[in-house]
Amino acid sequence: MMKITLVKKILRDGSPCKKCGDVLQKLEESGHMSRIDEVLVADERDPQSPGIEIAARHGVNRAPFFVVEADGKEPVIYTVYFKFVKEVLEKDTSEEEQLKEIMNDNPDLDYI
Amino acid sequence: MSTEVVETLDLDQHLQTQSPREVVEYALQQFDNIAISFSGAEDIVLVDMAMEIAPGHAQVFCLDTGRLHPETYRYIDRVRDHYGVEIDVLSPDAAAVQKLVKAKGLFSFYRDNHQECCGIRKIAPLRKKLLEVDAWITGQRKDQSPGTRAGIPVIQDDKVFARPGDSLTKFNPLANWSSQQVWDYIRSNDIPYNELHERGYISIGCEPCTRPVGPNQHEREGRWWWEESTKKECGLHAVNIKS
Repeated sequence: MMKITLVKKILRDGSPCKKCGDVLQKLEESGHMSRIDEVLVADERDPQSPGIEIAARHGVNRAPFFVVEADGKEPVIYTVYFKFVKEVLEKDTSEEEQLKEIMNDNPDLDYI
Repeated sequence: MSTEVVETLDLDQHLQTQSPREVVEYALQQFDNIAISFSGAEDIVLVDMAMEIAPGHAQVFCLDTGRLHPETYRYIDRVRDHYGVEIDVLSPDAAAVQKLVKAKGLFSFYRDNHQECCGIRKIAPLRKKLLEVDAWITGQRKDQSPGTRAGIPVIQDDKVFARPGDSLTKFNPLANWSSQQVWDYIRSNDIPYNELHERGYISIGCEPCTRPVGPNQHEREGRWWWEESTKKECGLHAVNIKS
């Protein structure tokens, strides 16, 4: 039995995170939203919000992200949407899409 | 919190207090299959430290985007000769580069920003290389870009490049060093450096995307200077990962 949790973010000014919106839209359009068992909100204004707590529990410092839990296994965290799709939802994604997402989401890689 | 995460966070707290050399030594003790990412610039200090601690233990690789300065290519060879170390010079996938150039020309990054080109020329070969190792070492520092690197840990569980179902550990031994400290180390140890540094270049990347900076300019201003500062905010600012 697998449980997939999506954590999306609300910014400090109360606005929704753009990237989270993009990911939710992609999930809806591809019909994958039905595979998501729970959506938690990480509200930057509320350290006790469920999304913030689960991020702290798994040592994640960005959103959106996915927590994939399977019986008898350690939870697996995915911070890259296309990697999650490819490895969990088993849908082929183009390498260009994956690379672009990695670059956009990890600006610290600029100097590598 | 999983045991693995707790261990990494505890370790990071400990390693934050250690010197870069101690961090490199720790990394080499913990991992046999470990690689240093060398950019052809001041991260040479990592190669120097690793060669002094355990010569030949860590692999050294360099991402050759095909657009580096001639000075950088010459420097990579000087480093190879100086340390007698094998440097794995990684090239991008020719077909992917060809497709990009055919569709958008040789300077698409000036119009579309650098992410697409960097993705093909840098990130794809990096990802392929990292599938082969258990840990890697980078020269990332907090002071390189206050906006995007302020939160760099010394050790982290690299979820982006890990093999499916496996883990990859990333070390950033220079995270807490300033540019000044790096250069003090280079000079006091008489380490060879990229000659572009003598011409006002601080941060060195691809030739079309790198320029010298003037006095009091941040090194970030020497890279992708034509782009707006529109970095996405994906960090979770309320998370206290020390809890």
